[in-house]
Amino acid sequence: MPPAASTPPAPRPGVPRPAALLLALALSLAVPGLRAAGPGPGPGSPGVPGAPPPGLLRQAARAALHFLNFRAGSPSGLRVLAAVLRGRAAVDARRTCRVDLEFTAERYGPEVADGRLGRCSARVVFRHQKPRPAVNVTCTRFMETSRRRREDFLLYKRAKRLRAPLGATSIPDSHGWIDPSLRPIWDLALLGSSYVMWERTTQTLQYYMAQLSSVNQWKTNEDAIDFDYTVLLHEFSTQEIIPCRIHLVWYPGKPLKVKYHCQELHTAQEGSGTEEGSAVAPTQPNNF
Amino acid sequence: MRGLLLLSVLLGAVLGKEDFVGHQVLRISAVDEAQVQKVKELEDLEHLKLDFWRGPGRPGSPIDVRVPLPSSQAVKVFLEAHGIGYTVMIEDVQSLLDEEQEQMFAFQAWARSTDTFNYATYHTLEEIYGFLDLLVAEHPQLVSKLQIGNSYEGRPIYVLKFSTGGSKRPAIWIDTGIHSREWVTQASGVWFAKKITQDYGQDSTLTAILDSMDIFLEIVTNPDGFAFTHSKNRMWRKTRSLTPGSACVGVDPNRNWDAGFGLVGASSNPCSETYHGKFANSEVEVKSIVDFVKSHGNIKAFISIHSYSQLLLYPYGYKAEAAPDQQELDQLAKSAVTALASLYGTKFKYGSIIKTIYQASGSTVDWTYSQGIKYSFTFELRDTGRYGFLLPASQIIPTAQETWLALRTIMEHTLNHPY
Repeated sequence: MPPAASTPPAPRPGVPRPAALLLALALSLAVPGLRAAGPGPGPGSPGVPGAPPPGLLRQAARAALHFLNFRAGSPSGLRVLAAVLRGRAAVDARRTCRVDLEFTAERYGPEVADGRLGRCSARVVFRHQKPRPAVNVTCTRFMETSRRRREDFLLYKRAKRLRAPLGATSIPDSHGWIDPSLRPIWDLALLGSSYVMWERTTQTLQYYMAQLSSVNQWKTNEDAIDFDYTVLLHEFSTQEIIPCRIHLVWYPGKPLKVKYHCQELHTAQEGSGTEEGSAVAPTQPNNF
Repeated sequence: MRGLLLLSVLLGAVLGKEDFVGHQVLRISAVDEAQVQKVKELEDLEHLKLDFWRGPGRPGSPIDVRVPLPSSQAVKVFLEAHGIGYTVMIEDVQSLLDEEQEQMFAFQAWARSTDTFNYATYHTLEEIYGFLDLLVAEHPQLVSKLQIGNSYEGRPIYVLKFSTGGSKRPAIWIDTGIHSREWVTQASGVWFAKKITQDYGQDSTLTAILDSMDIFLEIVTNPDGFAFTHSKNRMWRKTRSLTPGSACVGVDPNRNWDAGFGLVGASSNPCSETYHGKFANSEVEVKSIVDFVKSHGNIKAFISIHSYSQLLLYPYGYKAEAAPDQQELDQLAKSAVTALASLYGTKFKYGSIIKTIYQASGSTVDWTYSQGIKYSFTFELRDTGRYGFLLPASQIIPTAQETWLALRTIMEHTLNHPY
């Protein structure tokens, strides 16, 4: 990665945007010994030396939210990024990129968001182009805990009664339709995918869950929901569709247990991982 | 006539939940007045439950009657005993009804006019191509259909031309569906086409635009890919060209243009979703547009529409250097997204491709810009990842409506800033 210029370029005509000024201010408070730089493709914002590309902050925000969603283990409480408020990035000699940022998040929910935003602050550390960023994130609540617990329990009860369509499926279908009765499956699939998407996010790669393509197993006879499925993740910036097989065990209020295996389509590596909710355990390879 | 009769029977069936299995329709020939009277006797026998479609009249006039299965034998015996001739016109009324019902529903999929076309659903290639012809037929003075080439698999590539006259007027180009899985874009393109015909003469801005300029609209820019998303793989992005020496299919048509071709921001791996192809314009879908643009020579705005991410982008994608017209493009983009947001509050970000989304080489608008088409823009429509490519059909029309406001802004600016 090319180092940032040590002398600022000549100021551009026109008024710099407020966000750029904030960044400049934040950067000037950077810890000594760390060079403020803009990692990733492309230079920083015009006029501001070494500011992180806007994409990097969003990248970090999404990684933080995937991690938060996974750790919360609440399919009713899934959050998505609303807007980045401010942030700064610093790169050390080992090309480790530390991002501190504040952003707003809204409830995932069906269709249009209800407008309520939670405020989050996070520190995300990307090791140089390696996945599994270290995340420290806190968000204000956008829903009362008791209500969220109630909704999780309702979802759990619906899931227990649900006869999932086993085998190959398309949820949503080609027209974007999800049968309301299958909503619990979708929400749980997204919960499990959050773990995968967090692990895979790097400074330059981000993910969205595109489609649930197969329900391999849906066991509800015991207390927990035991769900084995395949999702298609959409990867930016490569535009690839990555099939990932995920196996999760969920009970409301308990930490999520999840393991996965993603197909790497045209590279030799395969990515997989396993996790039990509470402590961050080292990744163990896991093959189906 | 028979169709109408059947229709009324069908309605009766639907309302009364009757079943016509085994019912036959007989055509009776009463040769003289005596035979006519005999048939009238049959009419009076209520327990037979006969349904005369064409009642007894003058001798020689055919009498058509629907006979329920339980009465069938009795009626035939009666007619034969009195020497009255008959033929079985319909062997089994129910199976005929079933057939007609199927046909009726099949017809419903095919709109008879662009006013009955369903804009709130996703369509097949055939349906969209049918729509093009309907629109041209309804507005022959305004709309014409051009074929600019054939796809790799031999499908015609069509462009609609909206023009009120003149010759090689300065023009605006809009394309949708270059990446086949981005279904909301083709669906929006269909809506835009209809919108233009509705607004000409009604909306002063659009009317002013079309009075001096032409609009070209290519709705299915990648027909092979689009057909593939319907038949085999909803997530297909690229063309369907075969690459010698590789088992993988397809080239990313938005990396195949001759602007920074092959540089960082595209893949040289044929199996990749961003494979740039063996050389620039290798894809006929791309070459057809290149040839069209070059031979036209007077296109002033070029807008290529994608999904998803909610972005409005301008050059460059392949290099970090600012485009010479950066400031004007940035201002115009800002106005366009403001107009877009005014309808449903949908927020779009805007900026150059490389700064706003990622580095991409060989992209469409980098090439069109290099050809001197100053107002070169790429849209990424709804949403921001909730549904992604699988955007619910219920969002097609709102997406098209809001996007139209942005397009109108860009087109108006182009009209008012000739160069």
